[in-house]
Amino acid sequence: MDIVWNNLGAFLQGASVTVRISAVAVCFGLIIGSIFGLMRISGSVILRSIAGVYVEAIRGTPLMVQLLYIYFGLPQIGVILPPFTAAAIALSINSGAYVAEIVRAGIQSIDKGQMESARSLGMTYMQAMRYIILPQAFRRIIPPLVNEFIMLIKDSSLLSVIGVIELTRTGQRISGATYNVFHVFTAVAVIYFIMTFSLSKFMGYLERRWQIND
Amino acid sequence: MIKVIDLCKSFGKLEVLKGINLEVKKGEVVVIIGASGSGKSTLLRCINLLELPQKGQVFIDDIAITDPSVDINRVRQQVGMVFQHFNLFPHMNALENVTLAPLKVKKEERAAAEELAKQLLIKVGLADKIYEYPRRLSGGQQQRVAIARALAMQPKVMLFDEPTSALDPEMIKEVLNVMRQLALEGMTMVVVTHEMGFAREVADRVIFIDEGRIVEENSPERLFNEPRHPRTRDFLSKIL
Repeated sequence: MDIVWNNLGAFLQGASVTVRISAVAVCFGLIIGSIFGLMRISGSVILRSIAGVYVEAIRGTPLMVQLLYIYFGLPQIGVILPPFTAAAIALSINSGAYVAEIVRAGIQSIDKGQMESARSLGMTYMQAMRYIILPQAFRRIIPPLVNEFIMLIKDSSLLSVIGVIELTRTGQRISGATYNVFHVFTAVAVIYFIMTFSLSKFMGYLERRWQIND
Repeated sequence: MIKVIDLCKSFGKLEVLKGINLEVKKGEVVVIIGASGSGKSTLLRCINLLELPQKGQVFIDDIAITDPSVDINRVRQQVGMVFQHFNLFPHMNALENVTLAPLKVKKEERAAAEELAKQLLIKVGLADKIYEYPRRLSGGQQQRVAIARALAMQPKVMLFDEPTSALDPEMIKEVLNVMRQLALEGMTMVVVTHEMGFAREVADRVIFIDEGRIVEENSPERLFNEPRHPRTRDFLSKIL
């Protein structure tokens, strides 16, 4: 176990990179996902198709391939990105596709009568969305969103392949230098678990606080 | 107040309304009856364009709302609607349900909107439920909040789409009482309902719809006591 304590600084450094990159991807994933999720249910065929292609393309290809494509592929056409940026972009775009589907399903799960009664009071479509549909949908999509964020934290371990020194890569480096894989990766797994478990507990708390009144 | 001319509506191949003509005068209470699937709810929903008719015109206060250039949101502010399943906003309490549209659509002052909302909630007999959320209200109470919510926009017309069909029998009366009161105050109302007692007592005119057409319309006494059309007789014999 000494090996863990001796390298505690490096572990924490790696964990902090994992947390930061996951946080960035969660934020942008939410933004991208909300926009594309709304596009998926919009009245415009063009918007719906664009969002449909995005969701299907991202969902249908491995994150690893998307990552390699952005980090090693794009430089060939002149787009050179530092590892952290490339990783953040890839993770955000990837997560956005899943969030879009969660948002779409959440909105569509709200009873049609809600939109009708809002419109019958003279609200515009946008007002009805903003005051009636989205607040209800938001509470309903928290559980699947938590799931998505947990997946995202775990998926960020793939970033090790493009040289981002996040938690998994840190583990590889320490175990490579010390030949102790067992203890090092036990520590890595425990740290991942602490992150995902606290996230799940925190979101559970939010969910109870914003409990829907129906 | 309301004028419907040659209104046709289909859902895919299914023709639901086959040329409806209807006029409702200011202060009049019109009750529409008919079997399920006869098109009576669809007619009501065409009057505030929750359904878009394929053909025909709807006028409200001489404005052709079926004209694409009309701002339908403005028209709807003057046409209140009450639904079978209440459709209260579950994330808001009764007061917020009633004040939302006046605040956001009419941009009224909060104090004024709340004052009016409280008056309306008192009027529908819910003085003690002003801060209650919908899930803690009975069906009849929810429907009365829904009526107050529609009234808060101070509409010229109220449409009721089977307002008591989802209620337990003992709650039907409390909702009908509120509607009866509204009628007495001179509100123009179009009511789709199966409550024949209400129709008899409150309606100025009863309209019987069958297979997308108005088969017969008359004063309630005449229509219920001496229906002329065999279809009307048949329908009434089944429900009375």
